[in-house]
Amino acid sequence: MAEFVIMPRQGQSVETCILGQWYKEVGDTVKSGDLLFSYETDKAAFDEEAKSDGVLLAIFYNPGDEVPVLANIGLIGEAGEEFELPEQQSSAETPEASDEVAKVIEFSLDPDQGGDERIRISPLARNMAIKLGVDYTVLEGTGPQGRIIARDVESYSLNEKSYKTGRELYGPDEISPINKTESNILPENIVLRQEYDLKPLTNIRKLIAKSMHQSLQNSAQLTHHLSADARKLLSYRKKFKADFQTGKISENITINDMVCYAVIRSLKKFPQVNAHFMGDQMKIFRKVNLGFAVDTDRGLMVPALKDADDLSIGGLSNQLGKLADNCRKGNINPDLLNPEAASFTVSNLGNYGVEIFTPVINLPQTAILGVNTIIPRPMDLGDGVYGFVPMIGLSLTYDHRALDGGEATRFLSDIAREIENLVFVS
Amino acid sequence: MPKNQYIDPKSVRKPGMIEFRPVPVNQYNRTIKEERTRYSDDDLMRIYHDMRMIREFETMLNLIKIRGEYNGIAYNHPGPAHLSIGQEAAAVGMAYTLSVDDFIFGSHRSHGEILAKGLSAIHQLNDEQLSQIMRSHFNGATLRPVATDHKGSVKSLAVKFLLYGTLAEIFARKTGFNKGLGGSMHAFFTPFGVYPNNAIVGGSGDIAVGAALFKKVNRKKGIVVANIGDASMACGPVWEGISFATMDQFSELWDGDMKGGLPLIINIMNNQYGMGGQTCGETMGYGIAARIGAGVNEDQMHAERVDGYNPLAVIDAYVRKRKLIEEKRGPVLLDVLTYRYSGHSPSDASSYRSKEEVEAWEAADSIAWFGQELINEGIASEEVLQKVDEEITSIVSWALKLAIDDEVSPHMDMKNQPDLIGEMMFSNESIDRLEDRAPEVNHPMEENPRVKQLASKERFAFDVQGKPHSKIKNYVVRDGIFEAIIDRFYKDPTLIAYGEENRDWGGAFAVYRGLTEALPYHRLFNSPISEAAIVGTAIGYAMCGGRVVPEIMYCDFLGRAGDEVFNQLPKWQAMSGNVLKMPVVLRVSVGSKYGAQHSQDWTALAAHIPGLKVVFPVTPYDAKGLMNSALQGTDPVIFFESQRVYDMGELFHEEGVPEGYYEIPIGEPDVKRRGNDVTILSIGATLYRALEAADILSEKYNLSAEIIDARSLVPFNYQTVIDSVRKTGRIVVTGDASTRGSFLRELASTITELAFDYLDAPPVVVGSRNWITPAYELEEYFFPQASWIVDAIHQRILPLNGHQSSIDFSESAQLERNARGI
Repeated sequence: MAEFVIMPRQGQSVETCILGQWYKEVGDTVKSGDLLFSYETDKAAFDEEAKSDGVLLAIFYNPGDEVPVLANIGLIGEAGEEFELPEQQSSAETPEASDEVAKVIEFSLDPDQGGDERIRISPLARNMAIKLGVDYTVLEGTGPQGRIIARDVESYSLNEKSYKTGRELYGPDEISPINKTESNILPENIVLRQEYDLKPLTNIRKLIAKSMHQSLQNSAQLTHHLSADARKLLSYRKKFKADFQTGKISENITINDMVCYAVIRSLKKFPQVNAHFMGDQMKIFRKVNLGFAVDTDRGLMVPALKDADDLSIGGLSNQLGKLADNCRKGNINPDLLNPEAASFTVSNLGNYGVEIFTPVINLPQTAILGVNTIIPRPMDLGDGVYGFVPMIGLSLTYDHRALDGGEATRFLSDIAREIENLVFVS
Repeated sequence: MPKNQYIDPKSVRKPGMIEFRPVPVNQYNRTIKEERTRYSDDDLMRIYHDMRMIREFETMLNLIKIRGEYNGIAYNHPGPAHLSIGQEAAAVGMAYTLSVDDFIFGSHRSHGEILAKGLSAIHQLNDEQLSQIMRSHFNGATLRPVATDHKGSVKSLAVKFLLYGTLAEIFARKTGFNKGLGGSMHAFFTPFGVYPNNAIVGGSGDIAVGAALFKKVNRKKGIVVANIGDASMACGPVWEGISFATMDQFSELWDGDMKGGLPLIINIMNNQYGMGGQTCGETMGYGIAARIGAGVNEDQMHAERVDGYNPLAVIDAYVRKRKLIEEKRGPVLLDVLTYRYSGHSPSDASSYRSKEEVEAWEAADSIAWFGQELINEGIASEEVLQKVDEEITSIVSWALKLAIDDEVSPHMDMKNQPDLIGEMMFSNESIDRLEDRAPEVNHPMEENPRVKQLASKERFAFDVQGKPHSKIKNYVVRDGIFEAIIDRFYKDPTLIAYGEENRDWGGAFAVYRGLTEALPYHRLFNSPISEAAIVGTAIGYAMCGGRVVPEIMYCDFLGRAGDEVFNQLPKWQAMSGNVLKMPVVLRVSVGSKYGAQHSQDWTALAAHIPGLKVVFPVTPYDAKGLMNSALQGTDPVIFFESQRVYDMGELFHEEGVPEGYYEIPIGEPDVKRRGNDVTILSIGATLYRALEAADILSEKYNLSAEIIDARSLVPFNYQTVIDSVRKTGRIVVTGDASTRGSFLRELASTITELAFDYLDAPPVVVGSRNWITPAYELEEYFFPQASWIVDAIHQRILPLNGHQSSIDFSESAQLERNARGI
């Protein structure tokens, strides 16, 4: 079996080498280790030894040729062996020189030449002139080299009728700054006083904008609302708060933590909600990767808590707190912010007193739960007795492409049931 | 200059002779048969295995580089590969006895050392420790591809992890040990005690000394090994590192358990070539590198040459030298003789050495020889060794396939996250103390004489009637810096400070006066006049987890620490994939009055290098607040000070400089005076000249100037400046740096881009001339003066009625000076 001789690669920057000379001719017997050919790079010259025994059957390049590295340049095999020629790699081509000539727009900056020459004016003065409707071509600048500067436009606009050119006003050689009187000292530039501030979007804002818009455009979203009895929630919160303050527990477990805990339990029962809608298939997650909305100085972030269903309420509280903290500090692992990192999302606006809202799904997730504030609502306490019971509002937005109303409602009711029947063993 | 060390003219002028002890050369002479009492058969097999693993790994890379394939697996690796084929015995011998508490630092040619130390660590750690290490590295990102489909023990998984993590790093994969940001020449893995390898020759020569200093000062277990090449012994920073490491004060002046030498081995991996220069006979004069130790200190650094072709000779040396270090008699210099068959890099034609020479060394190949010895001793048969070789080939092939698989080993996703590397440049953390223990101090802070003295100072420069206090009563800039630093010394037990005459003298500009009384030697000491080592050791100290304030006196000496400041300090946080932090605050003072080599503002040099934060406060309030921020953070900060204003009281902050702790965020310029007609943005002490210029503008020309003090250069919030320019439409940028290429120009150019439509004239830069700094008597012709600022406004922005200029700021003058390069 014949073996090709290749042009070795000497360092990554080298793309081609110049073949120096062949030490063997076609037909010569070659032994491994014999000097076979020489070649050079822009840095150095090298000798290459034969890597196999046999007869030099063919050479494909001649001394002086520029050869791409790793190209086959010869063939060693048994005498008389048949072989196919490799395709020739073309050596480096030189690009054709462009004969385009750069265009220079000539204009004079000499104020004394007059005519239709370009007018020298500062960006600020030009902007002021446009805004004030001043025809700056009639102005004569008092700035360096006769540049029209802000004060020229300003003085023209303040006194258009009796406008005098800068030179008339200040004399050709003695240029003084504008005389400031009480009435024309302005705390800010009169023309460019800002009516608004243009603020470029931060990257995170751009991301949020894009994903929220896409979500509403590309899915069939609707929201169901119901509420759950929050008495247990509130009594646990009271207990946890006290335990935390006395150091009995290490986490300050919040209402949100408990709601998330309930949601995770429900998700385990409704795997089709703990899923991504992929167009022609559903990705049903085996674990719950819980996304939750965090309000930060830089905008909304939705980090994912991986394997949230493995955690106790304390662990959950700890991890949610840590992730939220990372978001606010800006050192959150960006992988966790990818909507694909979470299998389901919770967004809690209860703290802000929001009574009902329609959260927007983080595609490709199939649903998102909005958690509302707790409001006392009248309720049948049994035996025809009515009283006020604190109720927590729950708003589930789901993608109708992935879920039907019945499923979504059953899921939402189950969350309510979980909230109402929370049990934590201390 | 400790007073308790009396230099007696009678004794030092006595005639005498220095006597040297013989330096051992290749004295180890035990056979493997004799060594079987020290090593089990398993030990000897492991040594063979580890050498063989390194050989195969490097051979694989060599083939990938020169042929584009290995074992039928094709890959194009465009990056570097400096291989150590031939040097395996030296690497394995070095690493064999080291524990994970022992740190190694390396060079551009350190793949072998990473593998040797890694394999040694894997051997020593138990399954639980290994699992923990692998799982927690980047949350398992490196482990995941390896663990998929793994069958077998945790130790065999760890070996795969080591090979894969190193190779993925070399190939710039996100799953590499440093997220692919270090690459071949900088790869490392701290959980196995492998600290950064360094692409600058001798780069580890001072950084490793800092790591040893960290171990000593913070009473950490283990020793530090600096693996540097024979040619690096010609590099200044290596000499400086050695000088620093052998200072007499460790044994003469440091107290109690701190007394004694650094736990450090300078391990010369002597392959006898520096690129193509032969160190023995051509480019150096030492003949045998171990000779160097004899000139350094009385212990001669316990130097010796060891035959690095015999792994057992190297291990023997390490066992003996560790004992010396445990007796606090370090540091040690080892000259480990070896040879690389591979070129400096794959593009090296080896035109500088003969084929016969390479063949002679190959004939003595340590792996072939060691294998034959194992067979002769009946420890292994040829078949057993062959099986080891086959297993290694198979695992290296596996690692290569996995590391080049773009699915499981992707590069960082720069397309979708274009700022990803940017976000890794700084760690931006806020940490009071890096370790939780009581800081070692000599007395409570309130008993400190300087602290007591400061209590009576005026913290605002004017009294209630607006009359200035007398100069001597003022709380000044140097007090602000001092207060922030002493406060941190009492908070963070890891904080140390050093530089030239920092102790006793209190620094050349008296900033540290009073610190000597407060701190034991090991927290504040005088360094040799070795700027490279001052900064380099600080880098090593910080890498290991300590906070440090090195000081290099004059800004002009930055060049002396060029590699450390420009190549090392800024880069390791990002190059490590954010594994390392770099809490180093480098104090640098801009001089005046002392001429051309002691009066330059080189802020632009520091600001140009990505990865450094740069501040330049010039008021007591800003100095204290910014030093507090710098010391609270975890990033390298170049802290510029100005000798012109150390004595300046607080003119701006009317509530006075707070006695308590406060921070000024790095990156926020500060409006020092409000105005409407023109903005003057200043860097450094020129602030005070800008204020004078503002007075002239207001008194003579009825113009109100807004003065902004940049305070920080990197980062820099332009919004404050843009807001001002929107209001005034005009801006002058001024500072003491020579104008060409200065940060002033950077500011001017960026402001033009960001506020073009609001500008009534291009921003004008008023910097120093592009000359040498002349003598004090001529300085007013060199540094920007208040009148220059007015001249520049008159000539380039807003002609002023009746103004007579002293300096020519015309366009034609600018053209002409630039054309002449002045």
